Amino acid sequence: MTFSISISEAGVIRLSIEGELDAMTVSDLRTEIEKLLMRQIGRVEVDLSMLRMLDSSGVGALVSLYKQVRARGGEVVVLGLRDQPLAIFRLLRLDRVMVGAEVQSTTPATPPKHRNPTS
Amino acid sequence: MLGLLDHRDVALRAVSAACKLVTARPKQPEWNEFRTHVVSAVGEAFNNIVLHSYAGRSDGLIEMEIHTESQRITVELRDYGESFDLESVAEPDLDQLPESGLGIFIMRAFMSIRYRPGHPNVLTLSKSLSTSEGAP
Repeated sequence: MTFSISISEAGVIRLSIEGELDAMTVSDLRTEIEKLLMRQIGRVEVDLSMLRMLDSSGVGALVSLYKQVRARGGEVVVLGLRDQPLAIFRLLRLDRVMVGAEVQSTTPATPPKHRNPTS
Repeated sequence: MLGLLDHRDVALRAVSAACKLVTARPKQPEWNEFRTHVVSAVGEAFNNIVLHSYAGRSDGLIEMEIHTESQRITVELRDYGESFDLESVAEPDLDQLPESGLGIFIMRAFMSIRYRPGHPNVLTLSKSLSTSEGAP
């Protein structure tokens, strides 16, 4: 899994996750999410268009992010779901909660400030 | 293979490849869904063994046997760790957005499962291609 975080001039945080978000890789993402939550949070866009595999551990991290951002008054929108991750989202009914109608209106982001290649 | 998360992708690649053997026409939309469900369920089963049956042990073994026939796949996973009571696992309340306890729910939704505790514990997952929903 690799992921990148970028922040637009408007303050929108874009979290892009590639590869496999699963029990083996999720701890890296959770660490970064904890750091992310230390700053002021408005809108978080989670780009999963390059995510190939999502398991229940990965879902747990995404739901945790969603809950914590919402608790701080922000919003989380998941973008680019397809294939296996989409099937998991649909099964768990997360597509009704985290995939908003505004999916297409994404904000251009500045170049990545952080990149963390893992497995 | 060893019961390590590092070995999970080996198991899932084998399962994904075996899904091609159930039909002469893979790549159809229903087959893509079939493979997605099978790989997702077996992945959760593998996680369960590593994280719960072996719970941190690095020397546990997982034996995997894949049977394919026309329109159907069966995957048997055997481990020698702690047994668990599959029936005692409550269905998650999805409206509450649970962050854990989803693995067995995913397994059950995508495949038929049978579990026989013992030495080894035997978890059998099966699915028919013609059945798009879980519980085939």
